[in-house]
Amino acid sequence: MSRNNMVALILAGGRGSRLFDLTKKIAKPAVHFGGKYRIIDFALSNCANSDVDTVGIAVQYESIQLSSYVAHDQLWGLNTAGGGVYVLPPREKEGSGFDIYEGTANAIAQNLDFLDQEKPDYVLVLSGDHIYKMDYREMLQKHVESKADATIAVIEVPMKEASRFGIMNCDEEDRIVEFEEKPPVPKSNLASMGIYIFNYKTMRKYLLEDEKKENSSHDFGKDIIPAYLHDGKKLQAYRFKGYWKDVGTVDSLWEANMDLIDDESELDLFDPEWKIYTDDTMTPPATFGKKASAKKSYITQGCHVDGTVYHSVLFTGTTVSEGAEVRDTVVMNNVKIGKGARLNRCLVMDDLVIPDGMELGDKNAEKVLLVSKKVIDEAGRKQK
Amino acid sequence: MKILGILNFEPNSVRVTGIEDYRPVSSASFLGRYRVLDFMISNLTNSGISDIELYIKDRPRSAVEHVSGTKYNFNSKKGRILMLTGEKTYTNPIYNTDLAAFEANHHFISSASADLVVLAPTHFIFTQDFQEMIKAHQESGNDVTVLYHSVNNADKRFALCNVLKIDENGRVTDLSLNTGKYKHRNVSLETYVMSYKLFLQLIERGSRTSSLYWFHDVLSDSLEDLKVGTYSHKGYVACLNNLPAFHEANLQLAKEENMAKVISPDWPIFTLTHDTCPTIYEETAQVTDSSVGNGCRIAGTVIESMIGRDCRVGKGSVIKNCVLLPGSSVGEGVYIENAVIDRYANISMQKDLRGTAEDPLYVRKSDHI
Repeated sequence: MSRNNMVALILAGGRGSRLFDLTKKIAKPAVHFGGKYRIIDFALSNCANSDVDTVGIAVQYESIQLSSYVAHDQLWGLNTAGGGVYVLPPREKEGSGFDIYEGTANAIAQNLDFLDQEKPDYVLVLSGDHIYKMDYREMLQKHVESKADATIAVIEVPMKEASRFGIMNCDEEDRIVEFEEKPPVPKSNLASMGIYIFNYKTMRKYLLEDEKKENSSHDFGKDIIPAYLHDGKKLQAYRFKGYWKDVGTVDSLWEANMDLIDDESELDLFDPEWKIYTDDTMTPPATFGKKASAKKSYITQGCHVDGTVYHSVLFTGTTVSEGAEVRDTVVMNNVKIGKGARLNRCLVMDDLVIPDGMELGDKNAEKVLLVSKKVIDEAGRKQK
Repeated sequence: MKILGILNFEPNSVRVTGIEDYRPVSSASFLGRYRVLDFMISNLTNSGISDIELYIKDRPRSAVEHVSGTKYNFNSKKGRILMLTGEKTYTNPIYNTDLAAFEANHHFISSASADLVVLAPTHFIFTQDFQEMIKAHQESGNDVTVLYHSVNNADKRFALCNVLKIDENGRVTDLSLNTGKYKHRNVSLETYVMSYKLFLQLIERGSRTSSLYWFHDVLSDSLEDLKVGTYSHKGYVACLNNLPAFHEANLQLAKEENMAKVISPDWPIFTLTHDTCPTIYEETAQVTDSSVGNGCRIAGTVIESMIGRDCRVGKGSVIKNCVLLPGSSVGEGVYIENAVIDRYANISMQKDLRGTAEDPLYVRKSDHI
């Protein structure tokens, strides 16, 4: 374990059902993002850049791709002596049956043996499906200085959206006095980012107590934090300023990709001091043909553009043929876009072929069109 | 069968003006994200050869940093890439020959105890499945098989490369230097397959004959008593032996149809990743017939050029027939044609820079102009 005596646990077991077909075969944290990344690269790179070198990852839903991916701990430089990435799937244990994870708190409660073995002073609990850059060292420093039992990272959200989040009501010293999950009438706009630092000993006690409660949903937000508050434990808010996005829906995933192009957005992946690390695909640099046009776009290696790309993000190995037009669209890996095809406000899944001349999406549509094999087949039948 | 892959350094006739002030051409940045030597190392590992000795002529820093960090896709417990330099110091660089380096590292070569040796250069770009060449070598009964390419531009390129005279049986009858007098020549790709035993003998024979001898000299001496056969290479080939050739190869391979000849999913080229993000093309960007590495911000016009990783091209600038090595940047309203811009150079004050295809302009590493 690293010198700060903090172990990270990333909760990466959820399905992300609002991403529909995108998470049919892979867990949400393994979904690709931003041209060359996977969503979980952000949490893992933040750990690596914050000197947190021991990271447990609780996996459950469709975990094969995710588990094999994160097991390559050298991708984030986490293969240090004593450190590493530990994949923690639900497992059969002596004296009990096969227990699946029943909530965020339960996922950690079931892995207390892993934490006991590491003997950390602090446990950093993270979500595997958020896009942000954050130095956890600063949060830990604030946590230690405030002598809190737990610190929760919060971000200011627009008041009118606050009812969509878990809201922390704080006193003037940012001590949390009340927690409200999705309050209809929010009292504050400080939303929980799902990033917690706990003193391990106290956390261990509360997790074990929570396990015994029959009507508990074993969730950090719903059960553990309220229990801390009820007992008068010191819960401190850590105010985060910067880019943070929960990419839980097709639209928010599309938006977060588009934020990479937007100059106003604070999501800067160019910073050499805080790189986001990922698996390199060993593809050559992007190439552009005679009639290519690419503007306001974010394009990665392995792509070939012969057509027009405007305000779009192209992931690794995607080709845009002559005469094709891609606008306001996110195209995932290894997609072949045929000649004269037109895409507007789409999010195109991996490995698809868009036939010549096919038109998909609508620039005025409220919702982004998630393009899967099924959508292409249906459009093919209609456009014949 | 145990195969030892030996990657040779470039002969003294190689002069890549500017680029080689900082590193040998084999460790220069190439095609946006690679180093020149990645291509030959990947040829070896894609051919299943993972016992590799890489010879570096001088200034090894660049190669050491790059090669030691790169995963070339072999079992790193069983295979290895051993980076070697000539151990002696030379008062005159003409003594720094490949044979002298092999001699100096005799211990490593003799302890490798392989069955076959593939000796290949690091200043060429081509794709070759060495297993196919080895198979042809074994079927032919040759003592040495030389890889060659029939070129039709030997008057412009491949200066002072070895050219072969080949008889009707495919046997080499003469090995000489290309003087540039003729268009059509059989250019040796300085790639040889031979038995390990013979390789050791040839090193010894060459070193005994002359301290100035290179491997090709001793091979030339042996054409009568050894059966030196040939294997014809098909596909893309470039010898990066001077700045125009370096410039030209980058620009040729920046075109997708050519790039696909040397890099494909079936024949990947392995290199070091720098974890740079994708490239942003701004509203004013216009990129055609070019290739662009990751981590760039492009706001200007790029025509028939190779833009390396982490480069900047400002608004209103035009980059035509240029090679921008990683980390270089061009400010706003600058016109550059036929130039090679070395790493971390910044061009913003000088608004018009032009070379020609046969005499490309070179901007030094870290220069601000």
